[in-house]
Amino acid sequence: MENVKQLTGLLLLAAVIGNAQVKQSDKEDIYRQNCMKCHKQMSLTMQKIFMRYLLKYSSEVSVKSALYDFLKNPNYFTSALRKDQIARYGLKGKTTLTDTELRKAIDTYWEKYKVFGKLK
Amino acid sequence: MSASKSRATNLHKAERKTLISFLLLYSFFSIILLAISGYLYYSLQKDLMLEGQTNKLQEDSYKLISRLRYLHEHFDEDHTYPRFPDFRSAIYDSSKKLIFTTLNEDNVNLDKRLYTINENIHYVRLLESYYLGAMYVVIEVTDSGQWFRYMKKEVIIYGVVLFILLLIVGYYLFRLMLSPMRNSLALLDRFIKDTTHELNTPISAILTNIEMIDESKLEPLLQKKIRRIDIASRTISTLYKDLTYAALGNRVASRNEKVNLYHLLKERIEYFKVISSAKNIHCITDLHKDVYLTIDRTKITRVIDNLLSNAIKYNKRSSFIKVTLGKNYLEIEDGGIGISDEAINSIFDRYARFNKSEGGFGLGLNIVKAIADEYRLEIKFKSKVGKGTKVRISWKT
Repeated sequence: MENVKQLTGLLLLAAVIGNAQVKQSDKEDIYRQNCMKCHKQMSLTMQKIFMRYLLKYSSEVSVKSALYDFLKNPNYFTSALRKDQIARYGLKGKTTLTDTELRKAIDTYWEKYKVFGKLK
Repeated sequence: MSASKSRATNLHKAERKTLISFLLLYSFFSIILLAISGYLYYSLQKDLMLEGQTNKLQEDSYKLISRLRYLHEHFDEDHTYPRFPDFRSAIYDSSKKLIFTTLNEDNVNLDKRLYTINENIHYVRLLESYYLGAMYVVIEVTDSGQWFRYMKKEVIIYGVVLFILLLIVGYYLFRLMLSPMRNSLALLDRFIKDTTHELNTPISAILTNIEMIDESKLEPLLQKKIRRIDIASRTISTLYKDLTYAALGNRVASRNEKVNLYHLLKERIEYFKVISSAKNIHCITDLHKDVYLTIDRTKITRVIDNLLSNAIKYNKRSSFIKVTLGKNYLEIEDGGIGISDEAINSIFDRYARFNKSEGGFGLGLNIVKAIADEYRLEIKFKSKVGKGTKVRISWKT
């Protein structure tokens, strides 16, 4: 009886971890498929764009909010890039992602390039 | 001569007591005033010191910002936070979340521009461009504390000097305020002394002359009248002695001697016999012979007189007084009106009187207590309203 209980517990734990991993890979997939696909071909790296946002908006909440606003409605005012950069690379079209997908992609982007924990 | 000298000493003693109370209160407020001034001076010195550091701290912040900008632009190649030998730093984002720190002191107040904390000086600067996401830059340098040591020395020296000056001023103020009161007291003292002296002569004359009258040769009606005069004179005499003692007696140095209490009690009971017999009060005595007490005769006489006088005054007609003298105690009991429990607590208060219909100033028991305290005599009162009072004075043999 005791063994059955332990086994059930282990199975549940594995299921939770598995689910979390699936969610994480799901997030990364959205980011990879919808962001990296185009950006990796550009000379303006994702890192450089991230640093532009960081320079202008500072905190995690502000950066994520600014990215969301831009991706939902890309224009000169919502973009963090300089005018010459916009003139060179142009503005992207409106996102086709749902709000949830977009937020997941932005979360992945933040986690990938954030400064926290990287300075030494 | 000796009495006036003692009076002067006692006056000074009372003054000294008031002076100490006044100076304590005055010192307390002076210290508070000096502490506030000291704190203001400290704040001023600290602000001056911090302002003196501002230029250097600003330069340090420029150095850091310049390095942050470089790091921001080359973050994909380098992640090493800039460090400097003469200061430490930290950066925070716009939500005041720490990005990186090399500070010694973790406790940072981003709402203040310049402040000291645990031997460190913090300079907070807001950035216009958020390099690495940093909105706040904190520069930290070690506070050598030299200014504080110098300031502390100054505050202590000036504080002590000012305090002494304030004490001297306070003392002279006290003397100035006291002088009119002193003059009035001296005037009152002289008046009481003169008045009591003037009273003494006629009372003594009345008492001496009454004693010289041969009552057996008088008619019964005249005899009764003479007895009344005698009682009245003795009452005035007791009051006069109390007044003299209250006004002057306690300022005169005691002349202690070995007093035979048996003889003294006999004498005092005899003295009050005229008054007690007027109320038809029966006096029972149980006196142990050869009981001696080293005390000032005048003072122990005041104690006995006051207790006997009270026992008669607050007694019922045709009641009794019982005087018992033991080896180490004296007990005076009466079958009088008694004292309530509330009144017994204030029995020794000056001018306290328990029966307004009886004469007196309410000085008696106050005098008894003062003398008892001086000679460490223990006084115990037992009383029941309507039944009587028992006073016991005991001493160590």
